[in-house]
Amino acid sequence: MRYHRKLTAALLGGMAVLTFGFSLSAGQYDLSFIQVAAWFCHQLGLPFLQDVSVSAQQEAVLMFIRSPRTLVGFMVGAGLAASGTVLQGLFSNPLADPGIVGVSSGATVGAVMAISLGINTVSMFAMPAFAFVGALLAVFMTIGLATRNGRIPVLTLLLSGVVVGMLLGAITAAMLVVMDEYKLQQYLFWTIGSLDYRRWEHVLMGAGPIVMGIGLMLLMARHLNILALGEAEAKAVGMPVVKYRLILLLVAAMTTATSVCISGSIGFVGLIIPHMMRMLVGPNHKYLLPASVVAGGVFLLFCDSLGRVLIEKTEVNVGIMTAFLGTPYFLYLLRKNSSLEK
Amino acid sequence: MEAIIQVQNATAGYNENEVILNNLDFHIRQGEFVGIIGKNGAGKSTLLKSMRGFLPLRGGKILIAGKDIAAYSQLELARSISYLQQQVELTFDYTVRDIVTAGRYPYKKWWQQQDDDDRRIAEACMEYTDVLGMAEKPIRSLSGGQRQRVLLAKVLAQQTPVLFLDEPAAGLDLFYQEEIFRFCQELCQRGKTVAMVVHELNLAARYCSRLLLFRQGRLLADGLPEDVLTDEILSSGYDARIRSTRNPETGHADIYTEAAPADTAKRRLLDTIIGSCADGQKGGEAL
Repeated sequence: MRYHRKLTAALLGGMAVLTFGFSLSAGQYDLSFIQVAAWFCHQLGLPFLQDVSVSAQQEAVLMFIRSPRTLVGFMVGAGLAASGTVLQGLFSNPLADPGIVGVSSGATVGAVMAISLGINTVSMFAMPAFAFVGALLAVFMTIGLATRNGRIPVLTLLLSGVVVGMLLGAITAAMLVVMDEYKLQQYLFWTIGSLDYRRWEHVLMGAGPIVMGIGLMLLMARHLNILALGEAEAKAVGMPVVKYRLILLLVAAMTTATSVCISGSIGFVGLIIPHMMRMLVGPNHKYLLPASVVAGGVFLLFCDSLGRVLIEKTEVNVGIMTAFLGTPYFLYLLRKNSSLEK
Repeated sequence: MEAIIQVQNATAGYNENEVILNNLDFHIRQGEFVGIIGKNGAGKSTLLKSMRGFLPLRGGKILIAGKDIAAYSQLELARSISYLQQQVELTFDYTVRDIVTAGRYPYKKWWQQQDDDDRRIAEACMEYTDVLGMAEKPIRSLSGGQRQRVLLAKVLAQQTPVLFLDEPAAGLDLFYQEEIFRFCQELCQRGKTVAMVVHELNLAARYCSRLLLFRQGRLLADGLPEDVLTDEILSSGYDARIRSTRNPETGHADIYTEAAPADTAKRRLLDTIIGSCADGQKGGEAL
């Protein structure tokens, strides 16, 4: 068995182009693939497809509705998949995922707190900041509960994640009970995990932290490789394990928290994408991270676009789509991989 | 040759009430191939961990090249001593090349990536241990012997003057076991220092330049293999009757345990386990 890195890169590149096209054309307002391509060429001033006409209304839809939504979708998918890859490497545990280790539920608590205090209207960055702190607290709580003699067994990590998730769910619920109707609507707007009504301001809000987070992760791929060999091996080659775990955890929490803020809680992307990519390109993070970033973006865009065309005149939220596709894969992973039971 | 590792009145243990290493005092010189022997639980692995700085001492001192081990940074230690653990459990299926290149970690600044030099050194190490042909294969698809040679290549890629190996030959077949010892002997002849926890006493007798025999965290014997591997010393070290003879044809030591005297209680237990034909309860009637 060998890994297929070049083939995967070519496939992912092709799929990225197709899903971008799919996402820009899919939806209630009808636009063909060719029209999307023509609009793209016109925007860039390329001398192709000049005979294809795109109406002003269609242009507006593409410019102000579909483009930001597509970019947000790709960014969030890429961010979640990259965070999942980092968390799995960091704990050398293939079941770590932003949802499972409590990052997502912690970010939700932080975001809800920002909404209920009304701080989200003060600054665009208030909600991400609150979500980031919530995510960090949650992850420290989960890891603290799961650590036994310096090791983190898979089963205790999962159980601690469940416990922390339940606690944070209760805190979120308690805050919702006392929230007024307007704020409640704001909360509901993103909690299901949706890319609906995502505009350029969401792109701006997410771009900085997510792009920076992914950049840092790529820069630290070599360290992640060492951590993923296990704590003893990492120490044997002289790595200050705690320091690097902390730095990478902060970066992953920041990226996830931002993703959760702009799109709501979307599960399973951080779990299944790194896992699939690891089978194709191997666990070396120099290849795995970029592959996961692209595949995560492609997967989320695909789920979102599919949700828009699946049922006529209705939209299935992207969070629901990823959960429907992710749950069977997660169960399959649990059953198939006996090494996870250690 | 000068002492590269000095252990001075060292005492260590994993928790407050437990003393695993008890007031040890010895030194290892450059170029020695030291076999650390003793029965299970004698403190052999704990000694390697202490000398590598993984387990802080409760008393005494360990000096590496004359400097207290506590004064070294993690990276400095990793550039001085490489360490092969007893059991390496990998969660992810890294390729052979990925694993061996990990040995280059201590030579890089945090932002630096691997360069041609690292690749060249890693490839030389893989070639030396005969695993270059499988460089792109996932490590979990290899046999136990191949895997151990990969880990040895990783330790070599660390380019340290001192190597600590914790039972590197455990679970390997005869050929691979001997190969590991041969590798280490060659390395020591070229100036490296190897300390290795060993259970294969016959191989230790042939290849090690010096043996340290531990019993209950204390150093019971220290010297040339022929001086340590005597009936009397081995029997007290292993709490069993052990005989050491010299093979007249090869001249190598031949070590084996002598059967304990017949024990009537044990024999009666065995009767119960095997079952008596007379009571008609024996399994396997079809045979």
